[in-house]
Amino acid sequence: MNLDDELRSAMRREDPPLGFTQRVVARAQSKPVRKPAMFRMVWAAGLAAMLVIGFTAASEYRQIKAERAANQAVVALRIAAAKLNMTRDKVLKLEN
Amino acid sequence: MRKLFLTVMIGAWTVAQLPAQSLQLRITGLDGLASKAKATVDITLDSSMLQMAGGFLGGNGKDQDAAKLKELLAGLKAITVRSYEFKEEGQYRREELDPIRAQLRGPGWSKIVSVTEEKELTEIYMRTDQGKAAGFAIIAAEPKELTVVAIEGTIDLNDLSKLGGLGIPAIPLPNQGKGNDKDRNKKGKEE
Repeated sequence: MNLDDELRSAMRREDPPLGFTQRVVARAQSKPVRKPAMFRMVWAAGLAAMLVIGFTAASEYRQIKAERAANQAVVALRIAAAKLNMTRDKVLKLEN
Repeated sequence: MRKLFLTVMIGAWTVAQLPAQSLQLRITGLDGLASKAKATVDITLDSSMLQMAGGFLGGNGKDQDAAKLKELLAGLKAITVRSYEFKEEGQYRREELDPIRAQLRGPGWSKIVSVTEEKELTEIYMRTDQGKAAGFAIIAAEPKELTVVAIEGTIDLNDLSKLGGLGIPAIPLPNQGKGNDKDRNKKGKEE
């Protein structure tokens, strides 16, 4: 048997075994393989950690912003009060 | 038709904005002074920032001064402060205050105190809305310092003066409700 015959023999058309199509369809319709519970738990924990970090960072940012606003408000009112006081002193000085 | 609708909508929005714009004091024309000043205070707080500040100050409810300050801030809509301190005299011209003073001559505003001296000018303006104090503005022009304060909202100057605990000096001002402020006005050399 020469090479051509060997190839022809090896590559000849063959019908699939009986029930092959049904088995393929059945496999395709079956539920996907579930990932292990451990993997799902790690994924959920990671997501939860990211959410916690996100909320904490946002809360911290709001707190810093509020603190800065409060400081600015105090400084602004202090300046306003000082200028009011200065004006009052000038008025009193002019009255006397 | 669509263009006409858009034009009408933009026009209506512009008209709706006009009263708010005309009432709120805009501190303009002073930005160039920052480069000449040795110290600058530039504070602009809108209602949301003031709300945040109030929330921060009144967080624990134990500090009475903070609670008072929170109460005061609750009535405010905006605070704007521009203050410039210079090394030397003559770093600004009084004319630079004209755009601000022009706004304060508009409707709703009334000058309640004005003291003009040789090198100093101090003015306090009050804005009223339906007979109630709705804000005030201070212009303090000193030889080496220029300060403009604009506070929008319901504020009692006596309440402000009572906030001594936070380093704010107590200021015994005449009662605003009695309407006798103008009687106490003492004008020096008016411009």
